Amino acid sequence: MSNAIPKHRARFDDPLAYLRRGVTRLYTLWISCTYPFASCGRNLSIHYPCRLSKTIAAHIRLGSSVLIGKDAWINIVSDGVQDIKITIDDNCSIGARDTISAKNSIHIERNVIIATSVLIQDHNHAYEDIGRPIRVQGVTAGGRIRIEQGCWIGQGAAIVCNEDELVIGRNSVVGANALVTRSFPPYSVIVGNPSRLARKFDPTKATWIGGEAGRTVPTESTYAASSGLTAGPMEREREKV
Amino acid sequence: MNKNRARKEDPLIFISRFLNKLYSEWLRLTYPFAFMGSGVSINHTCPISRLTAHRISLGNDVILKKDAYLGVSRPPEEEGEPVIEIEDNCVIHWRSQIGAKNHIHLERDVIVAQDVLIIDQGHAYEDITKAIPLYEFTEGGRIRIGEGSWIGHGAAIICSQGELVLGRHCVVNANAVVTRSAPPYSVLSGNPARIVKQYDPIKEAWVMGSVRMVETELAR
Repeated sequence: MSNAIPKHRARFDDPLAYLRRGVTRLYTLWISCTYPFASCGRNLSIHYPCRLSKTIAAHIRLGSSVLIGKDAWINIVSDGVQDIKITIDDNCSIGARDTISAKNSIHIERNVIIATSVLIQDHNHAYEDIGRPIRVQGVTAGGRIRIEQGCWIGQGAAIVCNEDELVIGRNSVVGANALVTRSFPPYSVIVGNPSRLARKFDPTKATWIGGEAGRTVPTESTYAASSGLTAGPMEREREKV
Repeated sequence: MNKNRARKEDPLIFISRFLNKLYSEWLRLTYPFAFMGSGVSINHTCPISRLTAHRISLGNDVILKKDAYLGVSRPPEEEGEPVIEIEDNCVIHWRSQIGAKNHIHLERDVIVAQDVLIIDQGHAYEDITKAIPLYEFTEGGRIRIGEGSWIGHGAAIICSQGELVLGRHCVVNANAVVTRSAPPYSVLSGNPARIVKQYDPIKEAWVMGSVRMVETELAR
């Protein structure tokens, strides 16, 4: 029944949408004027409500054209050291309902897309003392996280670093609901829980290898030719190493 | 920016704090909870139904953060024991969902992080002749989460039958899917979840993998 709506009216957005956009605009203005960020670029868009405390704003550096979605939570666990803990570079978009929690350092480089419901934290709750509830034990020392430029973090993924440094190389993709706890090289596709490398870019062949695209579908003849299952390209790569 | 002013909180935040306090008091006065302890804080966005509130028991100092959902899938006219029991000092963070049909029990000091699902039933899908119904559920089971546990971000704890018990001081890592019981002092991870770390009472240390342990040994 879409024909019932006149075409010229369909060209205009719902006026209620402008209301929402106005609230976002006002809230962004309010935040960029009153919050004492370490540095703050132009053309921000911070949706209301977003959990971003004013008391921690001095530890945050925001680039230009950063988008922070609704209900995103940016948190800093204070350890008394006054330095930059969260850096979000130009053109990043932090989706709705994301959690970014830093104790040491989280650096999100340029052009990173982070989908909704993602968790990025560089520390964890300490649970080692069995005599006390986890709730009162505080957090671990934690590590540092760097997400290099051009990455795409899928919906519901969790990136948790307990120690040292976790680096996700440039132009990598993290699949939906993956749990990443270690570093990955540039140009990789990371999926699963626990996470594994599903595909990666081969610079010599200039193609992406591994995954469904690189795997041959086993037929009866392949089973006849070899006694076991045929090794996929990923396994072959591993054997070479 | 003036340093003194930077130390102060954004005044906008006081609006939501005031609303939360008001809403918690409203619930305390008008909702027939099975039990509601002192110092309970419930965010004004939490969808709690008054019709089934008599099957929910909240201990002292329980905190329900924004959009946390406590759902009881029981007919509202039915009387009986509480099906959701949350003991003292539990925290349920943003957007976590607890859906109970039989019994879900969180013991003291449990932390439930964001986006967690704890559910003791499923949709009945066995009849292939019709679409999976929205309001028909399986028989379901019972869930108990031990004292001082911590359920990580995005985890799902699902019990479709029998009883699922996470022992005390368990840790469920982010995005894990737990469908089986675990002994006390275990760290669970992955989908499907398995025990990746456990406390060894003989070595008195946390060790990788699963240790066979007897609860009586820990009780000594």
